[in-house]
Amino acid sequence: MRPTLLIVDDHAGFRALARRLLGSGGFEVVGEAADGRAAVTAARELRPDVVLLDIQLPDIDGFEVLARLREGSVGPAVVLTSTRDRPDYGERVDRSGASGFIPKAELSGAAVLAVIGSGRMG
Amino acid sequence: MRRLRLALALVALAAGLVNLALIVRAGDAPPRSPLYLVIAIVGVSWSFVAAGLVAWRRRPDNHTGALMVAVGLAYALPGLRLAQTPAGYTLYLLTATLPSAVLAHLLAVFPDGRATSRLQRVFIVANYATTVPLAFVQLLLVDPARLRCPECPPDLLGTGGQHPYGEAVMAVSDLWDVALAGLLLWIVVSRWRRAPTPRRRGLAPVVQVAVVLLVLFSVRQALRAVLSPPPPWLDGALDLAVLTTLMLWPLAFLAGLARSRLDRSAVGDLAIELEQAPSADRLQQALARALHDPTVQLAYWLPDQQAFVDGATRPVELPPAGGRSVTILRHDGDTVAALVHDAALDDEPELVQAVAATARLTIENQRLQAEVRAQLKEVRASRARIVEFGDAERRRVERNLHDGAQQRLVNLSLALGIARSQVPATTDGELAATLDEAAEELRLALAELRELARGIYPVILSEAGLGPALASLAERSPIPATVAAAPAHRLPARVEETAYYVASEALANAAKHARATAVTISARRCDGGLEVEVGDDGVGGANPDGSGLRGLADRVAALDGHLRVDSPTGRGTRITAELPCGS
Repeated sequence: MRPTLLIVDDHAGFRALARRLLGSGGFEVVGEAADGRAAVTAARELRPDVVLLDIQLPDIDGFEVLARLREGSVGPAVVLTSTRDRPDYGERVDRSGASGFIPKAELSGAAVLAVIGSGRMG
Repeated sequence: MRRLRLALALVALAAGLVNLALIVRAGDAPPRSPLYLVIAIVGVSWSFVAAGLVAWRRRPDNHTGALMVAVGLAYALPGLRLAQTPAGYTLYLLTATLPSAVLAHLLAVFPDGRATSRLQRVFIVANYATTVPLAFVQLLLVDPARLRCPECPPDLLGTGGQHPYGEAVMAVSDLWDVALAGLLLWIVVSRWRRAPTPRRRGLAPVVQVAVVLLVLFSVRQALRAVLSPPPPWLDGALDLAVLTTLMLWPLAFLAGLARSRLDRSAVGDLAIELEQAPSADRLQQALARALHDPTVQLAYWLPDQQAFVDGATRPVELPPAGGRSVTILRHDGDTVAALVHDAALDDEPELVQAVAATARLTIENQRLQAEVRAQLKEVRASRARIVEFGDAERRRVERNLHDGAQQRLVNLSLALGIARSQVPATTDGELAATLDEAAEELRLALAELRELARGIYPVILSEAGLGPALASLAERSPIPATVAAAPAHRLPARVEETAYYVASEALANAAKHARATAVTISARRCDGGLEVEVGDDGVGGANPDGSGLRGLADRVAALDGHLRVDSPTGRGTRITAELPCGS
């Protein structure tokens, strides 16, 4: 069975492209959320295996969403993403407990699989 | 008013002369009043009228002067006893207590000329309402002449004899006098204690004489009540003491007037003190001393701001009318400053004017300094605002790039990726190659755009703080750079931003001009601030007035910090910025 995935990003264009890219890249996209709070709610309801989480969100940022998801008993694997580079966030990505970080421009099903494979699910 | 005062002066003069003529004419005939007592009484009368007229002319709106004249005229009345006729003598007995009643009124309301408390009003009414009627009752019951002046002519109202209670009534009357004198003493002293400092100085001689007078008077009346009558030598001596003290009171009043009116020595001291070009604080203290008012406040007028400020350019609200007084100091019609002082000094405009004139140059000077300080403060604040506005703009542009162009190019890159994945590997090798080329171009464009955005505003600074931002700066530096020290905790955003730009500009200089092979960056907390130091091993000779370093120095100065550039030729460059972290 294909891993289920939730896409969190405030840009509808990116969400649509990511859905197509990851849907054909080995994932079953079970939902989308446009801001941090909706992401937390959707993740609790849908219980996806993976959350693709944009760091820059209109309400609470991706790190805060991640912290809230970790309050639950068993959380999904979280892959952080951003238009910016990983070093732009210093050590925050490392300390966040995310499975990994993928720059948006390099997003692909293979990249996500590689990250979660080497991270939590590995 | 002038005519009235002249007329009153002539009346007082005439009444005094009549008194003296009567005593001379009476010779040895009863009632034998000693010549010295009559002279003393005339002296009291004249001194009160003279001092009263001075006070009246000086402050026509204050009743004190008129009351003093009234006291003086009342003291001419006892001369009636010398007329040696029963009618004159009776009138004398009836009005004998009037002078002291008017005097008590004067003392109770001095120096305002009106009652300021309920106690004072009650006292004045009780005083008038009891003294003359008591004298009348006394006259009905007993012929005082029988008791204290056997040779005097009979009074017209008296019984001609002695009532059984006559002695008791006289004793009660004397003791009532003592009670009133005690109350008056209380009023005078408490009035003085409540008076504001500048006024106290002028009041002191008057209050001292009044206290002596009231004590002497009380002793005399108490002795009369207890000994009824006391031995004539003792009563006469006390009479003389009371009258002499009384004569001194108007003199004390004039002395107080002179003392407070123009304190030339204090103005002289002020002039000497101003020689030292005092600071704003010292100037205010010197003015307070010269005016004998420790609450004096000097406020300088700033025409630009249309406001009064103190020496430290803090705004000063002038007090509303009716409270403390304000004297506006002008020069050539222009407002220079305002002197806020105790309302009591309004009585002495000459002193305030003399002090203001003496200190005019210094005050003008301080006003200019206050104006410059205020302008400097404003310029600094606006410079800081300009830098802050610039930084906010940088953050906004970076955010717009991130949310706009970068996001669209990312989407384009993903769409290209999808398109590329749909090209079958077997067909159309050219299309696949073109798509790959486009993807590579796009990847480079995105990388350049990210670098551009980072140059506009390093988002890592707000995301992670100065330490990680410096580390990231060092990592991307084209020449090897190390971060030797960085603060472990977050600092105010503008301090972090300035520190970052110092390091970034210094690093760029080292790479571009210094031909350095190694750079060391350190940022250390020190003494409530942050010291950023960037040193390289290059050729030195950096020009601190070059546009890059000049802009950096301005930016550091906007935080009230200092930038030092130490760049001896051939021995590397060391750029140090001290940034205060306060507020």
